[in-house]
Amino acid sequence: MERNEHVTRFLHTGDWQLGMTRHFFSEGVQERFAQSRFDAIRELGRIAKEEDCQFMVVCGDVFESNLVDRKTVSRSIEALKDVHVPVYLLPGNHDPLNAASVYRATTFLERKPPHVHVIESTNPIRVDEGIEIIGIPWTSKRPLQDLVASVTGQLEAAVDTLRVCVAHGMVDILSPNPDDPALISLDAAKKAIAHKKIHYLALGDRHSLTEVGDSGCVWYAGTPEQTDYNEVKPGFALVVTINEDDVTTKEVDIGRWKFIERDQIDLNTKEDIDALRVWVENLGDKERTVVKLRFVGGLSLSLHSELEELIYHVQEILGAVETRMDNLVVIPEDADFTDFGFSGFASNTVERLRSNVEDSGPDAVTSRDALALLVRLAGREL
Amino acid sequence: MRLLRLRLANYRGIDESEVQFGPNGLTIVEGPNETGKTSLSEAIGLLFDYLDSSKHRSVDAVRPIHHDAGPEIELEAESGPYRFTYFKRFYKKPETTLTIKSPNPENHTGREAHERATEILRETIDIDLWKALCIQQGETIQQANLSKQTSLSAALDIAAGGHQADPREESLFDKVREEYGRYFTERGTQKKELQEAQKAQAESEAEVVSLEKQIKNLEKDIVRAADLGLELERLKKQEQDLRRDLSEYTKSLDEIKGLETVLETARLKLESAQKSEQAAKRDKALRQDLIDAVSKAQKAHTELEESSKSSTASVKKAETDMERAQSDSAIAEAKRKEAESLLNLRRSDFDYFNNKLHLEQLKERKERIDRVREEAALADEVLTKNSVDEETLKAIQKAERSLITAQAMLETGAPNILLRGLTDLDFQIDGEHTTIAKDEERSLTVSDRIRVTIPGSLQMDLRAGSSSSDLLKRVEQAKQKLDAACNDAGVSNADEARQSFEARREAQQTIARRKEIKKENLRDLTYEELERKVIGLGKGVPAYPTARVLEPNLPPNLESAKEELRNAEAGLEKAGKAWEEARTELDSARKVRDGLRQRYQKVRVELDLKADELKRVEDELSRSRRDTPDDDLESELFKCTKAAHKEEENVKSAEANLCGKEPDRVRTLAETAKGSLQTVEKKREAAQQENTEVRTRLKIFGEEGLHEKLQAAKSHLNYIRQENKAMIRRTSAAKLLYITMKEERDKARRAYVAPLKKKIERLGRLVFNDSFEVEVTENLSVASRTMDGCNVPFDSLSGGTKEQISLISRLACAMTVSKDGGVSLILDDALGYTDPERLKLMGAVLAKASQECQIIILTCVPDRYSNIGEATVVRLG
Repeated sequence: MERNEHVTRFLHTGDWQLGMTRHFFSEGVQERFAQSRFDAIRELGRIAKEEDCQFMVVCGDVFESNLVDRKTVSRSIEALKDVHVPVYLLPGNHDPLNAASVYRATTFLERKPPHVHVIESTNPIRVDEGIEIIGIPWTSKRPLQDLVASVTGQLEAAVDTLRVCVAHGMVDILSPNPDDPALISLDAAKKAIAHKKIHYLALGDRHSLTEVGDSGCVWYAGTPEQTDYNEVKPGFALVVTINEDDVTTKEVDIGRWKFIERDQIDLNTKEDIDALRVWVENLGDKERTVVKLRFVGGLSLSLHSELEELIYHVQEILGAVETRMDNLVVIPEDADFTDFGFSGFASNTVERLRSNVEDSGPDAVTSRDALALLVRLAGREL
Repeated sequence: MRLLRLRLANYRGIDESEVQFGPNGLTIVEGPNETGKTSLSEAIGLLFDYLDSSKHRSVDAVRPIHHDAGPEIELEAESGPYRFTYFKRFYKKPETTLTIKSPNPENHTGREAHERATEILRETIDIDLWKALCIQQGETIQQANLSKQTSLSAALDIAAGGHQADPREESLFDKVREEYGRYFTERGTQKKELQEAQKAQAESEAEVVSLEKQIKNLEKDIVRAADLGLELERLKKQEQDLRRDLSEYTKSLDEIKGLETVLETARLKLESAQKSEQAAKRDKALRQDLIDAVSKAQKAHTELEESSKSSTASVKKAETDMERAQSDSAIAEAKRKEAESLLNLRRSDFDYFNNKLHLEQLKERKERIDRVREEAALADEVLTKNSVDEETLKAIQKAERSLITAQAMLETGAPNILLRGLTDLDFQIDGEHTTIAKDEERSLTVSDRIRVTIPGSLQMDLRAGSSSSDLLKRVEQAKQKLDAACNDAGVSNADEARQSFEARREAQQTIARRKEIKKENLRDLTYEELERKVIGLGKGVPAYPTARVLEPNLPPNLESAKEELRNAEAGLEKAGKAWEEARTELDSARKVRDGLRQRYQKVRVELDLKADELKRVEDELSRSRRDTPDDDLESELFKCTKAAHKEEENVKSAEANLCGKEPDRVRTLAETAKGSLQTVEKKREAAQQENTEVRTRLKIFGEEGLHEKLQAAKSHLNYIRQENKAMIRRTSAAKLLYITMKEERDKARRAYVAPLKKKIERLGRLVFNDSFEVEVTENLSVASRTMDGCNVPFDSLSGGTKEQISLISRLACAMTVSKDGGVSLILDDALGYTDPERLKLMGAVLAKASQECQIIILTCVPDRYSNIGEATVVRLG
């Protein structure tokens, strides 16, 4: 057999989730978050050009939903116009090619530039001489079979052609739900690669950059901008180079947003609060950083007020702050009240509320709040 | 604070007025109306409250009416450690001076003086309390509002044994209440803000739900659109298939129609040929029928002729047979009549012998009767003669038995001889021969004398003794009686009587027997009838043999006559039978003859008819043959049959062709296909319609950005929820704090109510009686009075009592706070409602109170306070 001289390089990305919103974002932050994702498209375009990629494949979930706003579609297309290589968009589980498909929306169809292609069937797409894309679009939110195995199973071995299979979905070895009928069989994919039916399987769905198996030919590129705390390696894209014998990949860092989750932050003393303050101060790119903080420990009323002030301040500077204080105990201490020198009924009131807090009864939280209020009102008075 | 001196100038209507107050106890300021009493207390308030530059209407109100001068107020007083003189002039040449004498001399002027004075006042007295306790003229005396009086509270706290209340706590409580008031109304319901927040949350939730519903509906539409796509494809394919099927069926149906036309034509031809064939067949059959009819008629005619002949013979024979039967019958009848005559004769013969015998018997019977008639006559005679009836006999026999008894008694009394035969021996007793056999014994009684003689051998006389004579006599008497009886009966002795009786009885029996015999022989006849019969028969019987025919001979006797009768009877029976048979024979022969005759007549008629018929059909046949010969008919039939066969073949072939196309099946399938097509078309149209609708909806709503809207709504909801949660926390905290603090405050209040209550009751008992008690609320007002066990709410008390209790309550407060930060109590014409008696008692109360605090009474009715003990009196005007 004559040796194939074809070689291709392309940019593998996916899970742009355009139109995604996060409930913990304020309106302004939400806008910035959305904008960053449009910016990421332009950045990907820049990298494609820089890395001399022939084309770009977006492996599903381009849009967060088929029901995104016209504005989102328009802005996405504007961003795509700034990408100067052909772009192949694959419908995924978030934006399946169904009757309500965003790819069939008037806005999209009217404004789509010619170099942007939607993969609407599994028919091979000829990208260039000797280079084909086998796209496997989702047509519903819940396919009932392994689409990849089904499509590759019917392919003949590629002759004189490099084939990039573009698919979406979870690979069986990574799935926590082995009963999902849509899981992509890694074995089947490996067989297809071994039989030269395809040369590379570009996957989307998983938001973390992940190599699947050890063939080097099956990859998740991950999302270019992080969307949640639990993503392992988000914010990347892959530059993939293929020839008949070899596949090489190169990670490219793109993401600017960070989602940081901290558990078990122990707060008991003023020093602990100060340490937290320092940690926040040291965070880079604060306005694109989202943190979730889970506190434990016990604070006096005054330290708790200080913590609340700190959080209030942090909320103003970070992208978003989510806090969980369920395990943080606020204990009113004598020192909280000694300054006031109450002796009459106010003193009795303090005693009663403190006793409520200590009893951890149903009124404990309210009592603590009541004490805090008392401290505040008395402080204003004094 | 104690008031020492107050001077007013250019104040309302007062040009100048100065009052020196008693440093302790009571001061009464007397004076008629409009002498400036009320102005005294008012002035103290103005002095402390307003700057000399104040244009306040209260200040303006005290400007002198008639001249243009600034009102002046000068007060000398002690308060706490301070003793000072405080002066102010308003409006005209305003001025303020404060001169403090002790503890340290100070001099202040202007605003500084005002501020320092205020400071001293604040420091040493409770201005509010002071104002609250003072009673202005004309005011209805009501209870002072003491709830916010910190100095009173402090004093009461101390009196209650607690710490002195921190005045800041009361202020803190106000803040807490204020905070609470931000969220709740006084009645504890949530304020509008809170409700609106919750409403906003509910609206936001509804918004989310609505968007989610829209999205859900869209998703349903998406699924539906996919389903509809598949369904439409399926329906289109179905429609195509059905159309193709239908066109095929239509084509087949056209072919079938052609074949059906062919078949129809063939069938019509066949029908025509068959009709011709049938006509030929019918013609031929008609001809044949005619021929058959002729031959049949000929045959029938011949047969009838033969039948007629045989019938004539049969009739003749039958008539012969009948004649013979008639003669046989006549002979048999004659024979029977002969036998009948004989039988009659023999019956007469038998009757003759029978009558003869009967006559003899009747004669005998008559004789027997006659005989017994004679015997009866004889017996009647006996009976007439013989009178020994049964009774007579019995009397005789009785007499006889008496005689025998007497004789027996005689014998018993007489000797007895026993004779025993040793051999058979003849001997004599009393001369009468007798015998005795060997071993025979015989007893003999010797009544008187007895002689036994054995002839030839012995004679033996035996005599009875004398004792036998009585017995003998009795025997004699008995004998006489017997004899008499016999005589009466006409008999000689008893035996004869017995014989007579027997004879009589026999005669009676004879008479009885005669009746019986008569009855036996008469039987059912009377004697006369019997006699008539005997006479009748006696005449008839002997006449018969002579009157009778000679032949046959009269039988010799009854038996033979009877035999002859039986023979004659048998002969008659036989002859009768023979005659019956002959007659039956005759009837049968006659019947046969009649039947044959009838048949013969019928045959004759039939024969005539048949002859007519034969002629008719023969005529017809010949006429028909003249028209069309038989051969022509035959050849026409053959020709038609052949043609019909040919047409039949044609029809069969057309039918086979049509059948091969399965017309029914094709038609059914075509109908079904047509129906199915309509159904599918309708379904497809409906699906297309729905598809258009669904896709339109998807187009419209799909690009509305529902996703972001929902997310935004959720974020908003999240925000509102957090806000509301925070607000709820805040409101809950405020509520809890307020409630807790209020409870604690009320508790403290309740504690210091006690000392105030005690003081009020101590004073009150001076006016009322020892059972006087009051209920003091946490607001330090009197809620009710109890006296002599009767509790009356304050508001229900009389005006006078209310006034008195209010005053007492104020006095008690003033006394309570008097020690430190105490105030002087100014009463402007109080106790207007109090009756003189009570007034006296109230005087005592004032006197008592004045021991602990300064009391200044302003009055225009000095008598009202004539019972207040020692007091400084100041006269105005």
